[in-house]
Amino acid sequence: MGTAKSTGLSAGQSLSATGTRCAPAEEELLRSVEAIAARHRGKPGALLAVLEECQRVDPHHYLSENTLCLIGQAMGEPLSRIYSVATFYSYYNLSPQGDHVIVVCRGTACHTRGSLGLLQEALSILGASEYREDEEASFTTDDKRFTVRTVACFGQCALAPVVAIDGVIYSRMTSSALKSAIEASARGGKK
Amino acid sequence: MPNDIELFIDNRPVRVPAGSTILQACKAAGVDIPTLCHMEKVSSNASCGICVVELEGAKSLVRSCVQAASPGLKVQSASPRVMEARRTVTELLLANHPDDCLSCLRNNSCELQAIAERMGVRKKPFPRTRKPAKPDTIGLAIMRDNDKCILCGRCVAVCRETQGVSAIDFAGRGVRSHIAPFMDKALSQSVCVSCGLCTLVCPTGALTERDECDEVFAELYDPKKVVVVQTAPAIRASLGEALGLEPGSLVTGKMASALRRLGFDKVFDTQFTADLTIMEEGSELLHRLGNGGTLPMITSCSPGWINFIETFYPSLLPHLSSCKSPQQMFGALAKSYWAEKAGVDPASVVVVSIMPCTAKKHEAKRPEMRDAWLWWKEKGAESEPYFDVDYALTTRELARMIRRAGIDFAGLPEEDFDDPLGRSTGAATIFGATGGVMEAAARTAYELVTGKALPGIELEAVRGFDGIRDAELDMNGTKLKVAVAHTLKNARALLDGIAAGTSPYAFIEVMSCPGGCLGGGGQPVSTDWKKREARRQAIYREDRSLPERKSHDNPSVQVLYKEFLGKPLGHLSHELLHTEYKQRSV
Repeated sequence: MGTAKSTGLSAGQSLSATGTRCAPAEEELLRSVEAIAARHRGKPGALLAVLEECQRVDPHHYLSENTLCLIGQAMGEPLSRIYSVATFYSYYNLSPQGDHVIVVCRGTACHTRGSLGLLQEALSILGASEYREDEEASFTTDDKRFTVRTVACFGQCALAPVVAIDGVIYSRMTSSALKSAIEASARGGKK
Repeated sequence: MPNDIELFIDNRPVRVPAGSTILQACKAAGVDIPTLCHMEKVSSNASCGICVVELEGAKSLVRSCVQAASPGLKVQSASPRVMEARRTVTELLLANHPDDCLSCLRNNSCELQAIAERMGVRKKPFPRTRKPAKPDTIGLAIMRDNDKCILCGRCVAVCRETQGVSAIDFAGRGVRSHIAPFMDKALSQSVCVSCGLCTLVCPTGALTERDECDEVFAELYDPKKVVVVQTAPAIRASLGEALGLEPGSLVTGKMASALRRLGFDKVFDTQFTADLTIMEEGSELLHRLGNGGTLPMITSCSPGWINFIETFYPSLLPHLSSCKSPQQMFGALAKSYWAEKAGVDPASVVVVSIMPCTAKKHEAKRPEMRDAWLWWKEKGAESEPYFDVDYALTTRELARMIRRAGIDFAGLPEEDFDDPLGRSTGAATIFGATGGVMEAAARTAYELVTGKALPGIELEAVRGFDGIRDAELDMNGTKLKVAVAHTLKNARALLDGIAAGTSPYAFIEVMSCPGGCLGGGGQPVSTDWKKREARRQAIYREDRSLPERKSHDNPSVQVLYKEFLGKPLGHLSHELLHTEYKQRSV
């Protein structure tokens, strides 16, 4: 992992590392990314922390192509490396997330207790097309109100099947309970 | 040696220096361990698992490419357990590899194919686990087919460690892991500089040059076209190797023969315009020195390097020599000076270059490289715009064309290049090695300034394979500090010096690839440092054997100035031989 660091560039010279420069209109955004990068500079795993914080402050909780470019510029890291890290961890979102996030556990225990049905139920309530098993599922409604995704395991296997809605974990979830939970979130408006 | 250790490979003792890997110890013992991800001096990430061996007393097999040899170690390199493991690893790799060897560009030069044969794979027992990938075919220079990728990581390593470009990296996770540029865009939409080192190290057909053999064959058989060819200096030291001769075979005469047999109307030489480059670039340097121009001046022959500085250091572009590369000077002259002299319609001339380089394909298609067309247009000629150079083929493509045409290369007679664009000096030949442009420039500049020949003619200080080399030339009391870098990572170090204002140099030569063009991205695959050294020796051998060894002594270049260009840096030179650079935005 040494090369990016070996360029030894300050933020101002970062063009020589990434080969890109943000548009003048984005200078302000760049300043805020630079401020985040400055807080983590020199710490091990700085890139992970910067990605995490940039995702957190984004209104749609994701890392846009533009944000990743700005992170590259601010940190002097090659863009391919940033993309590599951002696509490796499921924590990072590369597409806009809804106001409410429903995470369905697809671990073995949850699967045997019907999590696939719950996932399909959630998707169908929110009007998504069919779920394809071979893809890393993440679906966001057009109005950006809901996102449905899966996780490999929550570590709550004894309480399977498990679904998390806006960070709250619901155990022994059923189809009808899921439906009313989604409806409750919808009524609650923006969280 | 006191630091040697002794261990046992297949029950035979072997002594190796301490710190050797088991792989190296096996090699010393005459045992060839198969490897895929491991490549000497490129990468060793122990990802493929082909190189496993059995150690006495150890429970599991170990990967010999990374495991250190230790005193008394007992290694079994080909036990049934080892052979079974290697075969299974190969079968697992093949599960996700398409069965299209017969139509693959790397058929017969594929390392995976060779390993499958060597491991005795006779069936494909495992089903496919990943979705077929879409090939990336829009680039002018490099094609990518992730379906053939075995995730060895060599390409990522050369791009990052050797070049400092980092256009590609691993993306995704688990079964979705793949090699990708930023945002999974096409390589040509990334910071890739088209140097092609990835195509040189890729064990399979996942990364290749854009093959243009068919297009060139079609031109050769078109009676309306006048097809001329130019050959880069480094080709004569590597084409033989690509066709089965010993590495370092010098095949200048056979190459000219083969090109004529393929049907090229004129067999010319890029070395002619390499000599011309020295005249123009040498004059430019002296002009900059005398007139307070931007220094250090940096050479501009290597198109991967041009892409690099345009992408990563646009503020330093004024340091680049305005000289086009020899390939582009040749194209511009072939379709102006030569076409006029030979009385042929420039629009019917097809210029094919044979280059050790993939970036040359990209360079030939730069929109500004149509200066011969502009020149004729100014003279009132009307035609559709055409490029100065129509096709840039790599050494590998020319070797394929020669094989396809059924030419017995080894048995060919030695022939000469055609006049006038085929005449060159030893100074032009050494353009093919890192340090060569600098040495050639020194031979001429020294003489222009001092009126005397460069003592000893050979500039040892800038030869060799050290990453950055420098020298001081004393020209009538004027001391000139010069530096040479090969690989873009080393170039970066010199550029950072210029950016920081600490560069002591007046003139810098940069070549993108390790060893210079002789180690270029378009050279035969499985290029290693031993082969680079053999090619280097061949290039300097050719230099010593030529009647003229200084560019300004090239009689055809002298005629060109007298008949056509006038003087170096003159009006016509600016129109046809010089160019401008601009920031490359990605």
